Amino acid sequence: MENEFLYMLAVVGAGWAVTYAMRALPFLLFAGRGRELPAWVTRFGSFISPVVIASLIVYSYSGLQWRTPWPYLAGALTVALHLWKGNPLVSISAGVALYMALVSCCGCASTHHDRELVYDAAHPLIHFTNKGMKFRDRYVTPEEAVRLLKKHKVPKDATIHMLVDEDFSSPRATWVFQHNYLGKAGYRKAIVVHARHASSSAPKRRDDRRNPPRR
Amino acid sequence: MLNVSERFSPLAPRERRAVLRRAFVDSLPVLMGYTSMGFVAGALLAAKAGLGHATLWGLLSSAMCVSGTFSFAMVQPVADRAPAWTFALLAAGLNFRYAFYGFTMLARWKDVPLLRKLFLVHMLSDENYALEAGVTAGAFAVTLLQGALDPDLIRARTNGLEFAMVALFLVIFTDQAKEIAKHGK
Repeated sequence: MENEFLYMLAVVGAGWAVTYAMRALPFLLFAGRGRELPAWVTRFGSFISPVVIASLIVYSYSGLQWRTPWPYLAGALTVALHLWKGNPLVSISAGVALYMALVSCCGCASTHHDRELVYDAAHPLIHFTNKGMKFRDRYVTPEEAVRLLKKHKVPKDATIHMLVDEDFSSPRATWVFQHNYLGKAGYRKAIVVHARHASSSAPKRRDDRRNPPRR
Repeated sequence: MLNVSERFSPLAPRERRAVLRRAFVDSLPVLMGYTSMGFVAGALLAAKAGLGHATLWGLLSSAMCVSGTFSFAMVQPVADRAPAWTFALLAAGLNFRYAFYGFTMLARWKDVPLLRKLFLVHMLSDENYALEAGVTAGAFAVTLLQGALDPDLIRARTNGLEFAMVALFLVIFTDQAKEIAKHGK
């Protein structure tokens, strides 16, 4: 808890210091001189702002479901309402409401993170470390791993890589159990990949011949 | 719209009240914008960042940074527990535009006393800039509302709320386009 306190203090402090410095920059540059501003500064200032906002729009669309029409429909509504009424509160709330409605009705997960689950040799779904078994980036029990596979709609015939850490010192039974467990749940193509063999041409052990790592 | 030099010159009490009333009316749209954006930013932080006291941190970051874009952008890195320098970079990238806002205000704020000017610089956000550095006191009070939310109330459903930031950008961009169309190049 204390770590979190210090961390958030650092986060907010960094954000504040940099933001304030940005805001104060022109005042520092032209402090107390009563100098007239060069014309290019004013021109540049009025030109840079729409450019920055436009690039922010494009960038922030990448965090939405940009492959579906929904964010564009909601965006069109926002802009149309704003051109018509000119009230930011109305435009923003209407756009958000429409987007939320479309996203929840059409049954897609909202964020990029939830939607795509990459599983190939370079991105093993299951990872055995000395601290426990991980499904992607969270520690799970065998049952949770199967539940997550179902939740992410991983097909039963997909190749599921189970990476065993190089310095893995827990009993071998740990991952053998998980392998069998997945098999019983219908995921027949689970493959155990040993990190210490994955990159070398060391002679294959018996387990690896039975479940050859495919790279 | 009032101008700042008028506002900071000494005024008789009655005039002062009139100025404050006028200022409050002028800043109502910003007030409403901040409330809705602050609500959404606070809800996102509470739901996604996995913090013990999201309300406290939402309050502190909005009072310190006064940057809606940053409030939204910080949520994901905080959830990932990114190192603190990430946030300095993030703030620099997102808020670089404020440096140009200051250029507009140089002449306008020439006669403002130092302490007040420090505060005005602190509050120089998109919305306040759009109001020609509108009514900072009112905006400040409402900015404090950002994140002053009960996390449990909001945790239930935030699917699609991330569109609020895009909507804000679209609104700002539409305003700028309107402005350019009105005044020519």
